Amino acid sequence: MNRWLKFFLVIILGIILGLIYGWVMSPLQYRDTTPITLRYDYKTDFVLMVAEDFSTSQNADKAGRQLALLGSDPPADIVTQSLAHAAQMGYSSADMLLIQNMALVLQTWRPSAGGSIP
Amino acid sequence: MNQERSKRSQENQGEPKKGNLYLLTGLIIGLLLGLVISWVIAPVKFSDTSPSSLRADFKNEFRSQIASAYHATNNLARAKARLSLLGDPDPIEALTIQAQQLLSSGDPTGAAYLLAYFADALKKNTISTSETNALTEIPTNTLTKEVFLLTPTLSSTQPVVSLFTPTLRPTSSPTPTQAATYILKSNQIICNSASESQLLMVEVYNSRGQPISGAEIIISWSNGEEHFFTGLQPEIGIGYADYLMTPDIVYSVRLASGGVLVSNLSSPHCSIDSGKINWGGIKLNFQQP
Repeated sequence: MNRWLKFFLVIILGIILGLIYGWVMSPLQYRDTTPITLRYDYKTDFVLMVAEDFSTSQNADKAGRQLALLGSDPPADIVTQSLAHAAQMGYSSADMLLIQNMALVLQTWRPSAGGSIP
Repeated sequence: MNQERSKRSQENQGEPKKGNLYLLTGLIIGLLLGLVISWVIAPVKFSDTSPSSLRADFKNEFRSQIASAYHATNNLARAKARLSLLGDPDPIEALTIQAQQLLSSGDPTGAAYLLAYFADALKKNTISTSETNALTEIPTNTLTKEVFLLTPTLSSTQPVVSLFTPTLRPTSSPTPTQAATYILKSNQIICNSASESQLLMVEVYNSRGQPISGAEIIISWSNGEEHFFTGLQPEIGIGYADYLMTPDIVYSVRLASGGVLVSNLSSPHCSIDSGKINWGGIKLNFQQP
């Protein structure tokens, strides 16, 4: 076999081995992650926490800031997605209601307005 | 013949010896390229992580959020279950340190008060369990002293007396909350069997409806936690496990591998016969979606 051909074949073999090592055996460290990468159930519970807080404070600005940790989507979208997950996972009706109430307020809330718009 | 041999040996001496070193070189180059691709150009992107892997500042945010939610609901069992997700070696200390750091930086959001309130509720429960089996009031002077030790500047901005009014919410209806790889398919109160009195029965199934043996279940209450497993009573079912509940204690249950957190569970009062309460059992059915 041509020496050059062998040379390139072992380079490809080396790349494959390197990828296996870097992606499977020793991937980048699994730490210092952000809330955006949280599994959906943890995100949903986080949204429930915000909703519980919101139920007493009624502070949409604060809820919006807290929900911004979960991604750059509008807070109302994040809450709507979580509501679907909560229903799928069997959340209690009381918890669902808390999330729904917050979702209703956030749908009309604009950050620049500094509060909910009637 | 001899002339030809000497001619060949002369030719061989003139050329460098061709070994397999080039193969090793190629392999190393390939390995380096592979590592550059896997670590720099296209590193593994993580998703579906758990709160324990969060960066320290996000863990602080998460802790503050748990404290805020606890302040709003006073559901200590739920807050404890959430706090355990962060994997802090000493959760009370973590809350205390965070509260102190916030106070030293001026605490613009007022989160220090909530963190201190939550930390104190956890401390109070730890203390009260050694004295009584119910949440009891601790003398105000003791609590005040603790708060001043914890947050020396708090007294100037927050009324200390108003900090400590935690009460457990007495509810008998189980309410699933958090969540994940398992969902709660059913939650039944069993009243017609004396052998199932005070038993928390858990059945775990996979997505095809087959029972799962060896599933770890975490049961927690305000001042403790235990783990038990399905499959230890195969005569009942390999996906079955049970736990004997103490009356009037409120439990939370979830599967260790993730899933919905079922909280506010306690032995149901089924009936009262001549002043004696007949306790019922609870049957939870978890299934992978």
